[in-house]
Amino acid sequence: MVEPLSHSLSRMFHNISDSIEDAKDQLSALDGAVGDGDHGVTMSIGFQAVKAELSRRDVDAMSPNDLMNTAAMAFLNAVGASTGPLYATGLQRAAQALVGATDATPASQAAILKGIVDGVRERGKGQRGDKTMLDALIPAAEAAASAIRRSANVEDMWREIVAAAEAGAASTRSMVASKGRAARLGERSLGHVDPGATSAVIILKAMALTFCGSDPGIVKMTSERGGQRVRKSESASEVREGLNG
Amino acid sequence: MTGGESEPRSSGRPRLAPAEAGGMTPLRFGDDPYVWASWLYYQEEMTQNDIAETMGISRATVFAYLSEARQRGIVSISIEQGRLASLTLAQLLKSHFGLRDCFVVPNGTDDQTLGARLGAAGALTLRKFLKSGDTLAVSGGRTVMAVGDNLRIAGLQDVTVVQAIGGAIARNPVSPAQCASAFAMAVNATCVNLSAPAVASSAEAREVMVAEPLVTGQLGILLRANKALFGIASLRPNASLYSDGVFDVADLQSYIDGDAVGVLVSRFIDARGQLVEGTLDDRVIGLSLDDLLRIDLRICVAGGFDKVPAILAALRRGYPNVFITDTATARGILRADGAKEFDQRAGDKQAIKLRTHQPRDHVKKFINAPDAVVEEMLEGAIRAHRAFLRPVANSKRALVALEGPRPGKVGLVIGGGSGHEPCFLGYVGRGLADAVAVGNIFSTPPPDPIFQCTQAVAGGAGVLLVYGNYVGDVMNFDMAAEIAREHGIETRSIVTTDDVASSPRENRDSRRGVAGNVFIFKIAGAACDMGWSLDTCEVVTRKANARTYTVGVGLEPCSLPQTRRYNFEIGPDEIEIGMGIHGELGVTRGTLATADEIVDMILDQIFSEMRPVSGDRVAVLVNSLGGTPLMELYILYRRLEQRLAAKGVEIDTSLVGHYCTSIDMVGASISLLHLDGELQELLHHPCRTAFLQVD
Repeated sequence: MVEPLSHSLSRMFHNISDSIEDAKDQLSALDGAVGDGDHGVTMSIGFQAVKAELSRRDVDAMSPNDLMNTAAMAFLNAVGASTGPLYATGLQRAAQALVGATDATPASQAAILKGIVDGVRERGKGQRGDKTMLDALIPAAEAAASAIRRSANVEDMWREIVAAAEAGAASTRSMVASKGRAARLGERSLGHVDPGATSAVIILKAMALTFCGSDPGIVKMTSERGGQRVRKSESASEVREGLNG
Repeated sequence: MTGGESEPRSSGRPRLAPAEAGGMTPLRFGDDPYVWASWLYYQEEMTQNDIAETMGISRATVFAYLSEARQRGIVSISIEQGRLASLTLAQLLKSHFGLRDCFVVPNGTDDQTLGARLGAAGALTLRKFLKSGDTLAVSGGRTVMAVGDNLRIAGLQDVTVVQAIGGAIARNPVSPAQCASAFAMAVNATCVNLSAPAVASSAEAREVMVAEPLVTGQLGILLRANKALFGIASLRPNASLYSDGVFDVADLQSYIDGDAVGVLVSRFIDARGQLVEGTLDDRVIGLSLDDLLRIDLRICVAGGFDKVPAILAALRRGYPNVFITDTATARGILRADGAKEFDQRAGDKQAIKLRTHQPRDHVKKFINAPDAVVEEMLEGAIRAHRAFLRPVANSKRALVALEGPRPGKVGLVIGGGSGHEPCFLGYVGRGLADAVAVGNIFSTPPPDPIFQCTQAVAGGAGVLLVYGNYVGDVMNFDMAAEIAREHGIETRSIVTTDDVASSPRENRDSRRGVAGNVFIFKIAGAACDMGWSLDTCEVVTRKANARTYTVGVGLEPCSLPQTRRYNFEIGPDEIEIGMGIHGELGVTRGTLATADEIVDMILDQIFSEMRPVSGDRVAVLVNSLGGTPLMELYILYRRLEQRLAAKGVEIDTSLVGHYCTSIDMVGASISLLHLDGELQELLHHPCRTAFLQVD
């Protein structure tokens, strides 16, 4: 049973906004360690604006392309900063990829992810290893592409996407930031997980929830009221198993 | 402490693991039994008897070592900080990664480079481990060569040094062949090279080459190596891997896309140390990663923050069993791997996070709904300053001067986030900025309001966009400039980079724009008001930027209205030097000093770049970051004036107060604008804005 894509997209943005609200304080705290402490607030404002704009429109009458572009502009106009242009361009690329699409198939879901990654990369001129959201998004897009090639089912695909993104975000701990405010800190940024990568993981989990209809099972969306730390990915701790002395 | 023990010490049970006992100085103490004895005594708190047993010497000798160590200054009350840190870190790395041994060199205060330091440490290590009859495989690279440069071991017999991987370009001075030669000469060993490249031009070429009897023989010797010494290469943009001629940039990029984080012995590894497969796999000639793991003693020498992901990957997989690095990198590795014991260790000041006891978590503010702060602030500001500015159309985020824009004049648009009031909207008016785009707190505005401002002030002579150098600002202003161009409006963008502490001189262009903005806006505004051309206005604004120097110091963090919380932690005696204007951490943390000392710190840095001479004139800005009162700013000004007077530099203009804040941050910045005739004239050009008036 396949839902009309516009409908799914609208639900997706609602879920993203809700998840970001839950994690707002924790994201800002992460950002306080390396930046100016407002990442959670920025993401919250941006996605609230998207949610608000979509509520004002007749979503069922919009094409997926139109909806994504609307979301992009709503986000950009609400936020600015560096997150604004990055996600806006990402959503615009995703919009382009959805021209003519009507159903929420795994292929269109993967196309959305690829569009976001391409747009963020293009606008920010970044790559893996810079300690940014790309360290979560690039592995996620690759996992999606791989799942599509293997004709995996939608639950498996999203489980792999989320796992890849979490591993990527966790790996930012060992990187020295080279972009954005954290880049000023040099080695003081070591040991801190990048807030942009963390919020990217939150977004992807919300997307997973949207398209799978239920929690993909790897990691529950944590409700962050008390400033709990994001749970580390399993692969990182697996690795240390044999080495702890 | 002389002979007698004044406190009971735990005796009878040496605390070292069995592997460390037996008389051989553990690697992390280098060559130095004095340091070892001191460590056991002061850090492990062993009795002299136990120390004697552990070290395999007499108690009298222990006593002599301890006295000598004190005299030498190795130990005063406790072990010298730098040494203590490196010893602690070495122990931690060893246990955390299951190493056989580890040596961490202190980062020095002298001029010796990291490479030279690591080289010396590597040489010392090899001296410990290399024995007659060994076959040692050696890779290439700057660090390995540095080891070779420092190496000198006499008296070994029948040692073979063999190149671990094939060669690079002929002129590479740190190629595996060169390194192998250097090592062989240093220890009087037989040198065995690999008569083949590290990367053959094709898989077929590789097959042909390794089948050559000469190469087959060489590889056979390589595979019999019982010891290895190698470095680790990073894949980050500035790494030497991109220029040493072994790999094509395209190939490197494809491995990066495949998750590779580093390279050792010409093989690519991912974050867990697993081999990353790629286009070059069947072309590489030399030790494979599996071959490497079969070698009994594997010494790795590597340091530098860019290498942390690569080093971490290698350590996780266990490629090195002896590891040499420097204190800063060691700290970074442990922190990156989330080593739990790490933060609890004493002796390393930087690792300790002083948990401030904030009396309260939430800061009181005069606000209504937290989410409405910016909107309500703008409503109030627009009404309060209605003599100077008004909104462009319906948006409160794009404000234009009532008197300012006129046909034929270059328009000046400034902008940035809220939270810096009076910057930016306080400087909109005749003779200064024509319009301002306002963003959320500490966030650049999006392209839309910037474009609206641009459109509102375009007088047919072009528009200058002047704003602080931040990644977000650049992106949004550039997007707005694109839109402007599509509408036929020519713009020039100038980022302000006056924050001297935020980047070294060689990277001037990556510095942040902070309070010195105010001077730069004033100069730009005056030039535009004089009716000068777009080109001329741009040139003089860039000159003003180049001649403005600012350093900020934060004492207490600021608090965001939406969260009402402080946005970072700082200890009771700490200050943040090189503080930015968004409450982001500064460049280093220092200790609270007197006002005069802080001013001296700031000015020494500014003067080293500005190099003022007697007779020069400057404009000065002593700026509160929001929470620091005028009283303290005047105290800072006093010392500033003394230092300038001592240099014979005259102060033309003094601005003291809140000019570019960071909400409520307790802190201040000092800006100097190094004047010349033209800048001085422009500085004195009349202007009328809410926060700056010149008649």
